[in-house]
Amino acid sequence: MSDTTLVQPRTEFLRGFSMRDAGTLIGLVVILVVFGALVPGFFAERNLINILQQSSINACLALGMTLVIISGGIDLSVGPTAALSAVISASMLVAGVPFPLAIAAGFAIGLACGLVNGLLVAYVGLQPFIVTLGTLSTYRALALIYTGGNPVLGLPTSFRAIFNGSLFGLPLAVIIVAGVAVIAWIVLKKTPFGEYLLAVGGNEEAAYIAGVPIARTKIAAYMISGLLAALAAQILVGRLGAAEPILGNLWELDAIAAAAIGGASLMGGKGSVVGTILGAVILGAMRNGLTLMNVQSFYQLLATGLIILAAMLIDRVTRGRG
Amino acid sequence: MSVPRLQFVGISKLFPAVRALSDVSFSVGAGEIHGLLGENGAGKSTLLRILSGVYRPTAGSVLIDGKPVTLANPVAARAAGVAMIHQELQQVPRLSVAQNMFLGHPLTRGGIFVARREQERRAAEALAAIDPSIDPAAPLGTLKVAQRQIVEIARALLDRARIVAMDEPTSSLTPSEFERLAEVITGLARDGVAVVYVSHKLDEVFGICQRATIMRDGVVVDSVDLASLSEKAVVAMMVGRELAQEHHNSHASGEVMLSVRGLASATKVRDVSFDLHRGEVLGIAGLVGSGRTELLRLLAGVDRASAGTIAIDGKATRFSSPRDAIAAGIGLVPEERKREGIVPLRSITSNMALASMGVFAPRGVIDHTRLKRVAAEKMSRVNLRPFLLDRPIRLFSGGNQQKAIIGRWLSAGTRILLFDEPTRGIDVGAKAEIYHLIEELAAEGHSVIVVSSELPEVIRLADRVLVMRDGTIAAELDRNDISEPAIAAHAIPQTQTPAARPARH
Repeated sequence: MSDTTLVQPRTEFLRGFSMRDAGTLIGLVVILVVFGALVPGFFAERNLINILQQSSINACLALGMTLVIISGGIDLSVGPTAALSAVISASMLVAGVPFPLAIAAGFAIGLACGLVNGLLVAYVGLQPFIVTLGTLSTYRALALIYTGGNPVLGLPTSFRAIFNGSLFGLPLAVIIVAGVAVIAWIVLKKTPFGEYLLAVGGNEEAAYIAGVPIARTKIAAYMISGLLAALAAQILVGRLGAAEPILGNLWELDAIAAAAIGGASLMGGKGSVVGTILGAVILGAMRNGLTLMNVQSFYQLLATGLIILAAMLIDRVTRGRG
Repeated sequence: MSVPRLQFVGISKLFPAVRALSDVSFSVGAGEIHGLLGENGAGKSTLLRILSGVYRPTAGSVLIDGKPVTLANPVAARAAGVAMIHQELQQVPRLSVAQNMFLGHPLTRGGIFVARREQERRAAEALAAIDPSIDPAAPLGTLKVAQRQIVEIARALLDRARIVAMDEPTSSLTPSEFERLAEVITGLARDGVAVVYVSHKLDEVFGICQRATIMRDGVVVDSVDLASLSEKAVVAMMVGRELAQEHHNSHASGEVMLSVRGLASATKVRDVSFDLHRGEVLGIAGLVGSGRTELLRLLAGVDRASAGTIAIDGKATRFSSPRDAIAAGIGLVPEERKREGIVPLRSITSNMALASMGVFAPRGVIDHTRLKRVAAEKMSRVNLRPFLLDRPIRLFSGGNQQKAIIGRWLSAGTRILLFDEPTRGIDVGAKAEIYHLIEELAAEGHSVIVVSSELPEVIRLADRVLVMRDGTIAAELDRNDISEPAIAAHAIPQTQTPAARPARH
């Protein structure tokens, strides 16, 4: 009775996510067009692949970050998690441990770091920002203590080939992260866990009363974030051929930026896999373009900041009636 | 005839794709308390937002004392003499009463320092007229909701408001607190203020308003003199049809579905025992704070019991979370829908399926075809309107949100439904539908518990009533014994302790 007569159907208009994703896509196109006009050779196939490769590590982290942010949390510890995973995995490789075992150990470290974050958030009830701020320092310290502050060098070249190779002309890292993105999309859109993430972040109390396993959902989100940080670490170590205990410094900020540009709300309950990937590519394309233009890194930082603010402003304005 | 204090002339408001108000015209005289009635979505809130400067009208104008005013923003509206008292109070609990009353435009010394003493003196002056017991220096958070309402009114006095608009001011007040508020409002009117009073509670509107404007679907149905009309006639104008007088039908069987013995919680509930039968609607009455909500939360697994047993179909169960209770066939429709019921950004379908996700994803991936089919089936069953299953639930009215929550339990195969204040904040039309639905569920063999503060609601629905007092069951009333006086007699403590006595001033 109350809503029927005056409210015309506007479902199409409100298909929130895809609308928002379209906005992010437009943003990416604008950036590509601008750099295409300013930078000769920006659109060369080789450079486009470069952009994807340069974006892949951040995209990988940002996918995990997106799930955590949707659940109403945040994971500031992804960089140190990656570093800890990298140095342990790398030192095992140097010691001659078989690849699969060393890589699995790296992933296990990532999962364990995420588990600690998740347990502290879900069962101890600490605030995600504070928990992961604490583990940010803790994990970094562990990586530094473990290595004595020195990089782990002398990785077998055959290991490097795994994550640094290419397939059908595309870097393997890009293909792996694309695969992760597809899985993340399916998880978010097609599984109960995805619905639970959105519900826990959207209204935890209501989700609890509706029978959603709150603690398990949150812990799983942090563990996925840790696992993807470990994957990002393997990709980077494969590329560099060495594992530094200080790798991944400030990764968390880029990952949060990509997720936010892509439409994730730090209030929880909202976020998009497609948007996050586009957000990561926006940041990657911009950095690539500015580097090709020989713009000082100070200005690159400035541009990153302005893009994030612009994305949030556009978000605010287009959402309109709040 | 003198010029009305407030006039709406041909107000229309268009939103993208929605016409919220269409040619709304009516007037309120100085010293008049004017009711504004209508179902949710009728346009009352939009009109109030125009009056308080939050929205600009698409067409039409607002006249104060016969002069057109431009209410471009809330500050301008305030300057024009309009004070708005919101349903959810917009105050800062940690600041003092006086600081809240001067929020946004503090008194200063030399434009730099806040003149606290002066603020408190002026606040005390304004409060003296209506409730001298409130200390202007006390932190606002220490006041009861009713007193906080009065602070808002005092603030309106301070602003020398000529028009006071009140949106559901009594939704969380007890009857005696309402009486006090009614006195204050009447006092305002006596001083020549025009009051626009929005409420769902018709008895209140009839009690304090002389005239009322009834809105439906964004247009004014009529402005009426309340003295010459019955409540029933007003309801018919609000919903656009006569609501059939509903009779109670019982579907209770002798089979015990749920058996509770000696149930207690750490704080509010003690030694509660009762049986719930298949097809029965069991009402739970009692004062606010008597432990009704807490009892439901124990039964739904939201809180943990400290003692006692719950048996379903004769089998003893123990709940450590709502998940366990849901698996055992119990579902809670909570009182605070926004906080405990809905996930606002998600669609009707997602909200409905939240408790039964596993069923829709037998192999780990959600079968969306099946989910859509079930959602369509359950939502047409509960008569969702508008029937837009992909639309975020926050865009629906309270009644339709409630229908989606009921659909949630239907879809989860719940056999025992616990309703806490099932029609709180729901308009009259949807209310009748919810009653109907509850009765149908009982007829199908569901067992239902309804906790309600509205005695007519309990009487309309319940086959049997448990009256709670001080955390335990004070009386059990069979259908034939259910009446307002009987319930009230058991709900109110016989030996009145100071804490339990209703507040008087």
